[in-house]
Amino acid sequence: MKDIMRIKCLISTEMESLLNQQIRKEAQSSSIYLAMASWCDRNGFDGSSVYFFKQAEEERQHQLRFFKYVLDMGATAISPDVSGIKIEYNSFREVFEDALDQEISVTQSIKNIAALCHKEQDYVTMEFLNWFLKEQREEEHKARRALELFEVIGEEGTGRWQIDKHVGDIKYDSEA
Amino acid sequence: MQATETICIKPSITEVFSTASGAVYQCDKDNCWYIDFAGKVNRFDYRCLHKLRKAVYHIDVEALLLNPKRSADMEIVFICACDHTYILTTLEIIALKELLQGTFTMLELNHIIYDRLHRLAV
Repeated sequence: MKDIMRIKCLISTEMESLLNQQIRKEAQSSSIYLAMASWCDRNGFDGSSVYFFKQAEEERQHQLRFFKYVLDMGATAISPDVSGIKIEYNSFREVFEDALDQEISVTQSIKNIAALCHKEQDYVTMEFLNWFLKEQREEEHKARRALELFEVIGEEGTGRWQIDKHVGDIKYDSEA
Repeated sequence: MQATETICIKPSITEVFSTASGAVYQCDKDNCWYIDFAGKVNRFDYRCLHKLRKAVYHIDVEALLLNPKRSADMEIVFICACDHTYILTTLEIIALKELLQGTFTMLELNHIIYDRLHRLAV
């Protein structure tokens, strides 16, 4: 009996489902960053608004990478519906705290896919995921560094203005 | 005198899984499956078989059984872009679910055997 399932599709059903969950997560991240950009813009934090617009676009690109990979492997990529995005924040700092939480959650979810790759010995997907694991190092670093600015600069006086001005300068250029 | 010719046809249809209420056959020639269930035999390709599985697995049998309404005990299993539709009773849904679960387990097993034996050996 031919292995038709394998002929038609490289990844397993479980992997397909997990990758589709990740597509949804990336889409959700993009929407969350867009909502953050909107809040920052409304509250006079122009620098942070630009920073979050950029982050939203990056997450969208991540979503498309996963989407295309699922299709290329012969599986079904599902365009996700995203709802219930928070649009109001209590403070400038809360926006960045939520951003870091979001990145940690994305890292965790990619680690779950990597765990399934090892379990199924799916080294093809693992190789695809490596780019994302490295990307998460940068994403988490940037989010963590942004929060550190609140400690280093402080929010008193013109502190928030300074933080907003420096958020766009955060870079991660580790060669490791 | 007419010459008789012996034609050897390699059987391309294999039974994947069967229960008392139905059976699933795989056709290697056409890369498809035939599901013999509820009095009819339907042909499913790769995409449609997955859609059927998804549709059947998503039916909440417990909710159907606990539903106190005295409405008809029927469920329509409609699969988008597929020629077949099933109109099933709750018992038939349970039977179809069992048939599909067995089928996918056997297909998974076949995949493991292929990976471990054929693909490594060749």
